[in-house]
Amino acid sequence: MAKKHKINLSEDELISALRRHEKVAAEALYDMYSASLYGVIFRIVNDTTTAEDVLQEVFVKIWNSAGSYSADKGRLFTWMLNIARNLAIDKIRSKDFKNQFKNQELENNVGYIDLHNSTVYKPELLGVKDLVETLRPEQKSILDLIYFKGYTHTEAAEELGIPLGTIKTRLRTAILQLRKHFN
Amino acid sequence: MEDIKAYIESGVLELYVLGDLSAEERADVEAMALKYPEVKAELQDIEQAAQLYADVHDIETGDDLRNRVLNSLMTNLGDDRNFTKGHYGQPETPVHSITGQATPTTSVFYKYAFAASLLLLCLCGGALAIVSKRLQSANQQLVTYQLQNQKFSKQVKYMDQEISVFRDPSFQFIKLKGNTSSNSLTVAWSPKRKKVMVDMTSAALPATDKNHQYQLWAIANGKPVDLGMIDATKADSADMMEMKPAEQAQAFAVTLEPKGGSAKPTTPPLVIASL
Repeated sequence: MAKKHKINLSEDELISALRRHEKVAAEALYDMYSASLYGVIFRIVNDTTTAEDVLQEVFVKIWNSAGSYSADKGRLFTWMLNIARNLAIDKIRSKDFKNQFKNQELENNVGYIDLHNSTVYKPELLGVKDLVETLRPEQKSILDLIYFKGYTHTEAAEELGIPLGTIKTRLRTAILQLRKHFN
Repeated sequence: MEDIKAYIESGVLELYVLGDLSAEERADVEAMALKYPEVKAELQDIEQAAQLYADVHDIETGDDLRNRVLNSLMTNLGDDRNFTKGHYGQPETPVHSITGQATPTTSVFYKYAFAASLLLLCLCGGALAIVSKRLQSANQQLVTYQLQNQKFSKQVKYMDQEISVFRDPSFQFIKLKGNTSSNSLTVAWSPKRKKVMVDMTSAALPATDKNHQYQLWAIANGKPVDLGMIDATKADSADMMEMKPAEQAQAFAVTLEPKGGSAKPTTPPLVIASL
């Protein structure tokens, strides 16, 4: 798999280039974040064509509203992640999408994707897979419901039949577990 | 400090990063992050972890999608020259969203449907105009025929009457004649029925002016009795015109009188006949 060299910029450089609508910013933005955002979008919408459409909408929105992003409010990725999740969730809740996929079950595909994905060698992620494996199933299911299925924590509590407080605690411990990677 | 720790441990920051808070709650978290460095640091760690989780689950996209997305960004900018040359070998891929494809077809359908309905409406209007015109003329014809019918039935009535005069043996026909001229008038009289009729078809009297009319008299016991005006111009006047009843008469005479008639004859009789 001969990948083209990818453009990487620091977050600050990227943001200021984005605001100037430079071509290099668009390329860097795509190369740095498309795979992660696409992974999230795909897991929410569960359909390649739709996921590609949503990814495009996400980048258009990021591109056009880069001026409204402020570093005070957090990482660029968090901002983009929320744009991506919102557009993806809007899409699966839209009438068109519901008609298109009336009979498809959304539940059983997360594992399937995991088996067929991320064959690219990424040194920075070395060991993270193992770390994710160490998440307890009940932690991972909550994280996946909220992260990849567009559930609110209230909906997740209903789905799993556990109290709201427990949902929040488990979500926190799951993320604490992931944070060990940086310590 | 305990409060901050409890705030951090409540899990609200995780929900913030995952976009699972209302606008108010978000603003609240942002205010807390500005106020307390611990909260800000915690948020940053959570964001990093969230990004890590996405990185672990990332899916590489193909070059086609990359070109498509980048083209759409550049096209949005209003200048796509940058992206149609160089190492992006593929021509610009047209972008269709799922919803975007559905709308044009439906709008085209509605456009045609609208045009078709308009056309139909015009046709209906035209047809209605023609039909109403025909109805109008049919109604006019109907009125004409009704009038004709009335006229005919009146005529038939008069003719019946006329025939009955001829059939009735009690009627006698008296021909009134002028002294010199060819003036003449036939009167049918039934003493039994006291009926007097004037035969208008055989009447030969000079035309009168506007102010004069012919008046029919019966001479009974030497005295003239008014039997009415002979009005040739009266509408629907049939061949036989019924006059005032007369029981006795030795003679009949017609004089020219001022319009409306006189109580007694004022001119010498034009035509006369004695029984």
